[in-house]
Amino acid sequence: MSAFLDNFMFSYEAVIFAVGINGLLALSMYAVLAIGQLSLGQAAFMGIGAYVSALLTLNLDWPFPAVLLAAMVVPAVVALIIGGPTLRLTGVYLALATIAIVEILRIFLNASTMTGGALGLSGIPNKTTVLLIYGLLAVVLLGFVLVARSKLGRAMEAMREDEIAAGVMGVNLPAMKMGALVVSAMIAGLAGALNAHANSFIGPNDYSFEHAVTIVSFALLGGIGSPFGPVLGAAILTLLPEFLTSLQDYKLVVNGFIIVVAVLYMPRGILTWRIGRVG
Amino acid sequence: MAMRKFSFLAFSSLGIAGCLMAAPARAQDIKIGAIEILTGPNSRYGLAIRNGFDLALEEVNKTGVLGGKKIVIQYEDSAGNKDQAVNGARKLIGLAKVPVILGPTLSNEMFAAGPVANGQKVPIVGTSTTAAGITAIGPYVYRTSLPESDVIPVTLKKAQEKFGIKKVAVMYANDDAFSKSGYDVFKASLDKMGIQILTTETFGSKDTDFSAQLTKIKSMNPDAIVVSCLVEPASGILLGARAVGIDPKVRFIGGNGFNSPKLGDIAGEAADGTLVGSPWFIAKDDAANTKFVEAYRAKYKEDPDQFAAQAFDTLHIVANAIDKAGAPESDKIKAALQDTKYTGVMGPFSFTAERDPADTSGVVVIEMKNGKFQIFK
Amino acid sequence: MLAQIFQQLPQQLVNGSVLGATYALFALGFTLMFGVLGVINLTYGFYFTTGAFLALYGTKMLALPIWLALPIAALLTGALAVVVDAILLTPLRRKKAPELSSLMVTLGATLLLYSSMTAFFGTEIRRLPPSVINHAAIALGNARINMSQILILAVTASIVVVLLAIVRYTRFGLSMRSLAENAEAAELMGVNTDAVVRLVSFISGALGATAGVLIGLNFNAIQPYMGEAMMLKGFAVIIIGGLGDIKGALIAGLVIGVLEALTAGFISSELKDAVAFILLIATLWYRPVGLFGRAPVKRA
Repeated sequence: MSAFLDNFMFSYEAVIFAVGINGLLALSMYAVLAIGQLSLGQAAFMGIGAYVSALLTLNLDWPFPAVLLAAMVVPAVVALIIGGPTLRLTGVYLALATIAIVEILRIFLNASTMTGGALGLSGIPNKTTVLLIYGLLAVVLLGFVLVARSKLGRAMEAMREDEIAAGVMGVNLPAMKMGALVVSAMIAGLAGALNAHANSFIGPNDYSFEHAVTIVSFALLGGIGSPFGPVLGAAILTLLPEFLTSLQDYKLVVNGFIIVVAVLYMPRGILTWRIGRVG
Repeated sequence: MAMRKFSFLAFSSLGIAGCLMAAPARAQDIKIGAIEILTGPNSRYGLAIRNGFDLALEEVNKTGVLGGKKIVIQYEDSAGNKDQAVNGARKLIGLAKVPVILGPTLSNEMFAAGPVANGQKVPIVGTSTTAAGITAIGPYVYRTSLPESDVIPVTLKKAQEKFGIKKVAVMYANDDAFSKSGYDVFKASLDKMGIQILTTETFGSKDTDFSAQLTKIKSMNPDAIVVSCLVEPASGILLGARAVGIDPKVRFIGGNGFNSPKLGDIAGEAADGTLVGSPWFIAKDDAANTKFVEAYRAKYKEDPDQFAAQAFDTLHIVANAIDKAGAPESDKIKAALQDTKYTGVMGPFSFTAERDPADTSGVVVIEMKNGKFQIFK
Repeated sequence: MLAQIFQQLPQQLVNGSVLGATYALFALGFTLMFGVLGVINLTYGFYFTTGAFLALYGTKMLALPIWLALPIAALLTGALAVVVDAILLTPLRRKKAPELSSLMVTLGATLLLYSSMTAFFGTEIRRLPPSVINHAAIALGNARINMSQILILAVTASIVVVLLAIVRYTRFGLSMRSLAENAEAAELMGVNTDAVVRLVSFISGALGATAGVLIGLNFNAIQPYMGEAMMLKGFAVIIIGGLGDIKGALIAGLVIGVLEALTAGFISSELKDAVAFILLIATLWYRPVGLFGRAPVKRA
């Protein structure tokens, strides 16, 4: 039995990692969607976290916890810098400004010699474990649940429903937006670092526009009523290709079809249930 | 078109049937693994490689290995994504228990999947991974594709002898690992040969417009233009060069990516005079190659490319190694691979101690004439 | 050095204008679809691809001349866009689903559409038969330009003029503007919004296809994902020009194209692709409604 389990764990380790890491990314998306903002910058924050962590491990041999911390702090600082001008924007304008940031990062990584250009960074030691990923996922999830049940959560929901009204009612809109962006950047950076140390290799094209859109789709498919929705969405979209492998050339066709049908019938996401509030 | 569509359908239904029936119906079959890009924007390379493997497999299984056992390939699709390549490697090793893995398609995928196989002491043999540092991943990582550093100097030397080029302009796609590592080799070789680089221009591998870079290059009057990229941008560059009026006498010198019949199809006469070095060439006149090209055309109704040819040889090399190993066990196969002596469609083949191809005598320099490549003399 | 710059400059301006016109041409249908219908429709790039493939089929298999293949491709693709909108987006509009669900449904649809196309055609690049247009270059002093490039400039200019006339002077244009402003109010004012949505989808699809044919004709790289590759620059153009703004899209396209050519020619080709995005961020910083946009309409 244990041999079977070992085998299973070995064979599906990459998938198990991916479900957890994508769950974190989906939560980083949730942090901004929960206040009604659409930022597509998560791929950039993830990339920054991944590169910072890989460079620290490869060049300076920092201990892993310190590396993970740096992978959260640096994207957070970047979020603070770009947050000022971009957070004046709303809706699609914010989404597209953040897409521009994703693209500029990709162009920079390809041109920079320190990051190996298109060759990326290889030989990153594997330090991520299943326990670490899911432990962190549980902590972040718990954090969001606690927030959702607090006064802060009520302010967030008010912003999502009607930003102007929420502002009139005394919600500090700029602080909320900046806070959400910074939290989102930290989680994405963490996910990036975990991914880099699970995979031996990272390259600039891992953090592209397509990836940004995939991250949004985790959250939207799952539903943003509660933090559980995005995590569920990430799990489904990560596992779906695994179940469709036997379709070979038509795998992506069916994958797309399932997303279309799911959205048409469940436009608010799969999990529409909301967390009850206390206090 | 209809034919193509049909063969695609036939393929996929075979694939589905194969998976549903759990392919190795007979216990004495030897199952090996392959990770290739079978779907998505880069599937062209993986599908050509699969064709090459399958064609060679037919030949091998006529007699079988280890006294008549048949080889079965379990394919895992990487879709060009390193995470899925890792995934594929883990499933092949953990579930299918394959003793040896072929692929993956891209160097980036190998940098991610190679360490997994190496860690489990399962030989992994890249057929199309040309970047620097691939075999440095570990002692179980092999490749049969000549790294660019073996091919490019041959091309440049020939061009220098023939045309006495002294100053060149360099162009490369800077967002793709294959093109970037080709560029690194070009740069090192040019520096070593004392050829002056007037300018280095970059572009994206999905770009279609190169007129700005070419206009700048034109104003510097280079003797030749050296380019490292895949065939799609390469065709666009050749056509664009004519459009901005670069003298047709200025030769284009390409890396491995240029070696595709597509170049002539798309760029037509604009491609004339282009020089490319390659480990394999479709019209290479030897018996093994002629036989391969004929069989490939008969089976797939199209011309093979270099990826298919490399895959074809690789499957033979691996099958021979399994046969010589005496048992389908990873370490025995590794030992047998190391001793490989094989002559295939790419010429004589053996591995260096660093598990790269040892023999560069198969490298040919080819020249585009009237939309077709021919051997450059 | 200076002589070299002057020698290059005229050609770089031609390069930039043609490139800019291709951005504008791609963006015209996109800005309409995005601006009037108010959704980020990711399937737009697929219409671009479809147009190019239909023209490829028409000129290669049916041996049609390009002036016939182009409008046929545009009409068929326009119809496809109407069908896609009816299947995917109209139901969501009826249900008053959240705005983001339309983004999500078009994301699934692009996956489905592009991968079906790849399953049939493979991913290798193709080109229209060289005989459909004369590729010889015409010399203009120091610069050269060819027929397909002139065609792109001319078609882009005429489409802009026609679209501007429609938007400003026709009843349909008026309904379109009212829909863009506020869909519910437009409906209350007696605008048949369903019909306008269909017509806008049709025009956008047809424009996307036209762009695909002409750009395919000029750059000779027709493959299923060609539309996907244009989307990012398309976003930049329509935001810089202002959502739904036709003249804005033209000017923004040209500005980006010319700046890209000049950047690659005189600064560094590594920065070429960053130009559009830096410009996009700068625009959003100083004028969040686009260079030529009107005051923002707050949607409550």
